[in-house]
Amino acid sequence: MLIDAAAYRSPWRRLHPAVKGMLFGGLLVCALALPAWPGAPLAAAVALGAALGPARVAPRDFARAARGPLLFVLTGAAALLVSVGGPEGAVAFAPDGGARAAEVAGRAAAAVCCQIAFACTTPLADVLPRLSRAGVPEPVVEVVALVYRMLFVALEGSRRIRAAQTARLGYNGWRAGVRSAGALGAALFVRSYDRARRLQRGLECRGYTGALTVLVAESPLRPAALAAAAAPPVLVAAAVLGAGALGAAP
Amino acid sequence: MHIAEGFLPWQHAAAWTAAAAPFVAHGIRTMTLAVRADPDSKLLLGASGAFCFVLSALKIPSITGSCSHPTGVGLGAVLFRPPVMAALGTVTLLFQALLLAHGGLTTLGANVFSMAVVGPWAAYGTYRAVRALTRSLPETTALGLAVFFASALASVSAYTVTSLQLALAHPDPADGFLGAFAAFAAVFSLTQIPLAVIEGLVTVVVVRLLSTVGRDDLRRLGVLRSPDPAPAAAHRTDEKAG
Repeated sequence: MLIDAAAYRSPWRRLHPAVKGMLFGGLLVCALALPAWPGAPLAAAVALGAALGPARVAPRDFARAARGPLLFVLTGAAALLVSVGGPEGAVAFAPDGGARAAEVAGRAAAAVCCQIAFACTTPLADVLPRLSRAGVPEPVVEVVALVYRMLFVALEGSRRIRAAQTARLGYNGWRAGVRSAGALGAALFVRSYDRARRLQRGLECRGYTGALTVLVAESPLRPAALAAAAAPPVLVAAAVLGAGALGAAP
Repeated sequence: MHIAEGFLPWQHAAAWTAAAAPFVAHGIRTMTLAVRADPDSKLLLGASGAFCFVLSALKIPSITGSCSHPTGVGLGAVLFRPPVMAALGTVTLLFQALLLAHGGLTTLGANVFSMAVVGPWAAYGTYRAVRALTRSLPETTALGLAVFFASALASVSAYTVTSLQLALAHPDPADGFLGAFAAFAAVFSLTQIPLAVIEGLVTVVVVRLLSTVGRDDLRRLGVLRSPDPAPAAAHRTDEKAG
């Protein structure tokens, strides 16, 4: 998976997730809570700068990850351009629709940048074991970790089955496509359950007692790193609020 | 239909998270109790979660000749029941947000409410109703009809709730909530209603194949009715007589 692979390649992988959460979460709050102009572009610029600069996320990977959510943002914002059932007709352009759509799209695009920057620097495997410290019950954390481990195998199986179906003209036409997609779903279900049972048997042979203990790489949470991560969002907030106060002054 | 990060104002994001929380807590409790009662079910639940994730990432043919993704909500609800789907769906949506950037972290509550709460309950309610109405039909036909309507309606209900969430967050200045709802629903319905029908058809194919190759699993999950014991008993009687 593109984002997870980028996260493992990033040198920021070794940082504690809370530090990256503080940096990108803080910028996300700036994008959502501060006035959209210039808050959103400023938060996006800092998040992009951090991700493409010191965190060394490849720009191409970042762009590919952002393509899908940005498409939704544009589609959703397009609905704000029109007014339905008003006095001007069944469908008409909303008078201030352009400004509203631009504000929502700007804010959401900045937030998407912050989210992807966090995801591209933090492998999910580093976050999951820490869920139990956040109060999530231990059995649920183990199920979540199992889902994470199994989904890569399931995705790989799905890709292979689809390639084999395509090679046999399984997606040549709409009707064949529906049949092949259904067959793929059924095969995935059977394989997933079969794999889980075989895994169960293998674990039992190794003295499985119900606890799936794994080693987690310890990365200490240093207060100085946390404070340094909080600085960019605080500076962005100060700059935006300061600019607003200067603009409002007579 | 994931609401992207930052598309909802923070007050709305918080409200939808609060609305989804009791359902997710109930789902987590159900899952925790199931795992504590039977630790072996942990691996099957893990496999089910991975299946739900991959199901929602499957490409299905769209009417325009391109591809799209199913929600997977209908099939998940029929196989695993809505409370478990609330928990598994939340895990799936969290993974989609962090691994695929589909949906956001602040909008997770809103996405969970539409796709892991309303969708599964709509699917399961429809499934039970159609199963009850088609009791007299052959098993394969009844199951196919129930699964088709459950899957298609789950998909439509998830899109409707998403449109409602967006309309509440961004009401039309002139026509208010209803105008915005009509605009969002009109934009999304162009693609999503045909997709819901296609997802229903694909799900029927999945369940029909599973009722052949995964019959025991479907019986254990309660999807297929248990075989009538009478013929088996009669068979044993014949053997004794022979």
